[in-house]
Amino acid sequence: MTTPSTDFLPPGLLEHLGGLEIIAKTVVRGFQAGIHRSPLRGAGEDFAKHRDYQQGDDVRHLDWKLYARTDRLYVREFEERSNLQSYLVVDTSASMEYAGAGGVPKLRYAGYVAAALAHVMIGAGDAVGLAAFGAEPRLLLGPRARKGHLHDVLLNLERLTPGGSGGVAGVLDRVGVTMRRGGRVIIISDLLEDDGGAELVAAAGRLRARGDEVIVLRILSPEESGEAAPDAGLFFDPEHPSREVPASPRQDAGYARRVAAYYDALADRLRERGVEYVPLSTAQPVEQALVAWVNRRRG
Amino acid sequence: MITFGTPAFLLAGALAALVPLALHLIRRRPPARAPLPTERFLTADPRTSVRVSRPTDLLLLALRMLLLLLAGAAFARPVWLPAARGTSEIVLLDRGAAMASGDGWRQAVAAARQRLLGADGAPRGELVLFDTAAGRVPRRRINPALFDSLAAAPPSALPIRYAAALRAIPGAARDLRGADSVRVTLVTRPRWGGWNDGIAPLRRAAWPGAIDLVALPDAVQADSLGADTATAEAKQAILFADPRDRVTAFPVAALQATGWEVGVVSPGQPLPPQGATLIVVSAPLPAAAVRKIVSRAASGATLVVDAAAISSLASALPWEPARADSVAGAIWFDGGLHLSGAARRVAGKPRRGAKVIAAWDDGQPAAVAGRSGAGCVVVVGTALAQGEMVLDAAYPRVLGRLARGCESAMDGGADVPLDAGARAVLSGAGPRMVAAGAVGGSGGGTALGRWVMAAALLVAAVETFLAYGRKRAA
Repeated sequence: MTTPSTDFLPPGLLEHLGGLEIIAKTVVRGFQAGIHRSPLRGAGEDFAKHRDYQQGDDVRHLDWKLYARTDRLYVREFEERSNLQSYLVVDTSASMEYAGAGGVPKLRYAGYVAAALAHVMIGAGDAVGLAAFGAEPRLLLGPRARKGHLHDVLLNLERLTPGGSGGVAGVLDRVGVTMRRGGRVIIISDLLEDDGGAELVAAAGRLRARGDEVIVLRILSPEESGEAAPDAGLFFDPEHPSREVPASPRQDAGYARRVAAYYDALADRLRERGVEYVPLSTAQPVEQALVAWVNRRRG
Repeated sequence: MITFGTPAFLLAGALAALVPLALHLIRRRPPARAPLPTERFLTADPRTSVRVSRPTDLLLLALRMLLLLLAGAAFARPVWLPAARGTSEIVLLDRGAAMASGDGWRQAVAAARQRLLGADGAPRGELVLFDTAAGRVPRRRINPALFDSLAAAPPSALPIRYAAALRAIPGAARDLRGADSVRVTLVTRPRWGGWNDGIAPLRRAAWPGAIDLVALPDAVQADSLGADTATAEAKQAILFADPRDRVTAFPVAALQATGWEVGVVSPGQPLPPQGATLIVVSAPLPAAAVRKIVSRAASGATLVVDAAAISSLASALPWEPARADSVAGAIWFDGGLHLSGAARRVAGKPRRGAKVIAAWDDGQPAAVAGRSGAGCVVVVGTALAQGEMVLDAAYPRVLGRLARGCESAMDGGADVPLDAGARAVLSGAGPRMVAAGAVGGSGGGTALGRWVMAAALLVAAVETFLAYGRKRAA
């Protein structure tokens, strides 16, 4: 019998995720010590700056070497490290059920990604919550940092079923209300929005205005992206099954170009608002995709 | 080898089998419906809304074509025939009482054996034994031992009936297996006892070709002929008739067929010198000639007078004329001899001492015979050279019977050989070997129609099962 942890976090994936850290690009004001930079100065190990000694400062922080050279009293200040609250927002709309020829369904792939991220973040002391949108926006789990919370996250990922067609804006706004400022929101979706992603961009912008870090992981299959476009058929959108289009995507050279243009435009608008856009393909192993992404973040 | 009774159905089945193939190829159907979340980026291509279907389910297509082919083949009435074995024989072996004389029976069995058994002792046809009735010997029993046992046992004591043998031919021909052609052989000692008027049409109906007649030598033939003519000299006959009349040829030929040397004498000519033991008068004679003829009869000759000469010899004849009756008919002799087609009938009755030797259908005397000294005078109440009776197969035999005069060769059950004409009728004309298909021999194969139909039904069941499975899976 398999458990959610072995389903979504097989040993091979855990091996690749060992030592991986997703450092926030924003300054985090957390309650606990963590790996992220904090606006507070204090007991950290990273030197921040010198300042003039003021009455009441702890003499343990005086820089005696500098006093010897300058004959003035300076205090050494250090950056504190803090943890953050984060939300994994998973798209469960009907389009996420699509798997392509012999591939893994996008929702399943999103589950792998979410599980891996939860494992890494909880391991780093971050609080991780879980939300989903599809038929309706749902906040499934509030942010928790305890180790046992990972199991709850995996269980909820296992229970996700595709269906419906709903926008991501609603759930993002609810996450914004629930989550402390300066948190992290990771949206895992195919971003096939009826409005072309306008509401997504706006909602992500609102989160960014709060000081949250917003990351969008776009998941697409090779059939959808045009890398392995299907042969002729009568195609329909799972979220709008009554709408059918007779087409030959494999023979349609413009198909892949139009798909790429859509996502490029959406990515540009997201980046304009400081949202990190990460395109993923179901043809790519999860661990490789995540490791590559984290390495790119480190610069 | 497989042959077909109605091969047109085979062609129809083949054509019908092309129908599902054509439907499979020309049917246009919409393309498969498939989900694609990025459908919004597709450009509608009307050419893909319908497409020419390629065979998508070859197994189902093959089953449907096979079903129609099998159905056509079943209706085509296929028959499996074993390898052709050339000519098959049907031997009609006479086992009547006449075969008992001399070595006839052994010769007959040997002749039948020679025709029926191959070098390996296997039968080459059917054996029919007949006397008054015919019986077919089962093919499995036809072997050398059978012929040995037949030769060892005597023939039956019954007279023969050729009609019974002829009627057995079609049945025997139908049971032949794998023969290209069929030949019929009749091994017999030809006797009038087996004859009747229906032989000629029956022979034609029973067998379209000629029958190979193996006529065994007749041990009593010389005796029988001797009944007609006592000595070689006595076989000379005189026929008083108009030689210019073409119908005269009929009695001449009939008498010759029974062994007489016939001299035709015109009624006005003088009577030839002594030597003729038979004088047939078929024309009115002058009084001088009448006296000479009567004296010739008294000296031992047989005088046969027909209706044309009765009036000129009336006083010398054992015949008492009665009122003339113009209604002619058939004449019956003792022993079953029957002559039809008489054109004229002269009524009369025998005088004292004379004997009726033939009668009309109504029982009135048709011919009488009476002694005249050492000879005999026979009177026939019809003209012997007129009417259709000259064409009757029994005509020669009737003349032969009349020529025997006051002696009755039929008395005591003696039977006389068939004349050449009757033999010719019995053997018939045409090819001796007839194609097996013409006599039903080709029907002897194994009919495969119901098996092919059963196979078609099986294929139909499999096709239905598969199609149902495909539909459910879809």
